[in-house]
Amino acid sequence: MTSTLHKEEMILNLGPQHPSTHGVFRLVVTLDGEQIVDADPVIGYLHRGTEKLAEGLQYTQIIPYTDRMDYLAAMLNNYALVHAVEYALDLEIPDRAEYLRMIVMELNRVASHMVFIGTYLLDLGAMSPFLYAFIERENIVELFNEICGARLTYNYMRIGGVKWDATPDWIDKVRRLVPMLREKVKMIDNLVSGNEIFLNRVRGIGKFTKEEALNYSLSGVNLRSTGFRFDLRKVRPYGIYDRFDFDVIVGENGDALDRYTCRLREIEQSLRIVEQAASQIPEGPVMGKVPKMIRVPAGEYYASIEGARGELGAYIVSDGKDKPYRLKFHRPSFVNLQILRKLLIGQNVANLIAILGAVDIVLGEVDG
Amino acid sequence: MFGFLKGMGITIRQLPTKKVTLMYPNERPQWPERFRGVHEYIPELCIVCYQCARICPTSCISLSGARDDNKKMRIETYDINFEICILCNLCTEVCPTNSIRMTSQFELAEYTRDGLYKNMDWLYHNHVEHGSFRAMQAEKERAAREELEMPVQQKSDDRGGDK
Ligand code: SF4
Ligand code: SF4
Repeated sequence: MTSTLHKEEMILNLGPQHPSTHGVFRLVVTLDGEQIVDADPVIGYLHRGTEKLAEGLQYTQIIPYTDRMDYLAAMLNNYALVHAVEYALDLEIPDRAEYLRMIVMELNRVASHMVFIGTYLLDLGAMSPFLYAFIERENIVELFNEICGARLTYNYMRIGGVKWDATPDWIDKVRRLVPMLREKVKMIDNLVSGNEIFLNRVRGIGKFTKEEALNYSLSGVNLRSTGFRFDLRKVRPYGIYDRFDFDVIVGENGDALDRYTCRLREIEQSLRIVEQAASQIPEGPVMGKVPKMIRVPAGEYYASIEGARGELGAYIVSDGKDKPYRLKFHRPSFVNLQILRKLLIGQNVANLIAILGAVDIVLGEVDG
Repeated sequence: MFGFLKGMGITIRQLPTKKVTLMYPNERPQWPERFRGVHEYIPELCIVCYQCARICPTSCISLSGARDDNKKMRIETYDINFEICILCNLCTEVCPTNSIRMTSQFELAEYTRDGLYKNMDWLYHNHVEHGSFRAMQAEKERAAREELEMPVQQKSDDRGGDK
């Protein structure tokens, strides 16, 4: 057979309602036989205009909207906004509030990575790890339900502190949960990581190098999986991360397998932080001194944190009023998605879902 | 091959463990005390200060009030549009009298969209049907308040003590 054989290209429309797109995401792929020659992500199905709506809202009123961006890690979104405002106002946060924030944020990171592990394996065709992961995540979500009254849309943080102090035995419950989760993570690790089918399925696919990742300005696990040691919690410690002892997990090859293992091992590091925070947490107020009307002085402010999916930043342009003149969120899922086209071209169509899943996007965050 | 066997081992170890699925609707979930469910509203306590309507990020509360014979503000209509309410609890946070609260009620399915537009009466009776934790607390508070204010209350047939 010569390579000049003419083959007709086929356009395949994946989504917007496809179970492994984790939301409403459409991907138009052009196929040559089984090879992907072009891929065109179409986004915006979940666009709610958070940034535009924020221009008409006071800072406190924006917090519930941030819950809806990355709905798997809403605590981190809450924090991204309040951190930016606190940074702009130069506010002092009481210690107990900071510790509570660290605990809920790291637990939320664990929950978010659990969802990744569960759904990624579901995408690859393994049903039961999904159930295992969700059982464990449920424990965390129930703890959040107890501290802030909601399972997904927490609206827990406030500018200057947190809304509620922990209930009397909440910290104890966290302390008890950590070793349990550790054990379960080990179990999931045993269940999945040694499985030959899984390994052969994900090893070497969706590979990119350090330079490519930097050129596409990827962040979070996507960047770290290539071996580039960059974690905002270490590089530019915000909050009280400098008081905790934890490692930055990096991969080697930058393929889907590395991204999976990085996330799995990051759970353990997050649990370490939770454990330290839960044992050091002091008594005291949970709300600092905040002016009654929060007015950010005129100017531009950018503060970013290490979200569950990468650098999550809030950029505030203020004209001195109680509402932002412009609020822009640097949403890691949106940025990380941009490399998808490059990863897909030349691949076999069967690898498509495995590559998309490993990037770990949340469509609420992509569309904003 | 070893990886498979390890996985299988875990699967087998799961066999005798307890089931975790909650058989809703036959079994009801136990919500914690702070659970943010659908509001209840207690008109007697409300001083018509409009703070809840002003803080609401989705502007889904509409209310109106008027002065009664004693020159006190008295609520007349109070509606929440649950089509757009995001149950963020900012309204309950700012309310100075706790007259708008959140219950553990979470079932809000309706056949029409208009059905999600709840008025004062529905919000007031929200707790009666579902026995929310906070509603019972409010009831206790109200009883205590009424006991305290009894001598004053007997003179006028005021509907309640709105301080
Ligand atoms: S819970 Fe939030 S959205 Fe709903 S009425 Fe109260 S302030 Fe408005
Ligand atoms: S419910 Fe509360 S906040 Fe709203 S008008 Fe009445 S007293 Fe004011």
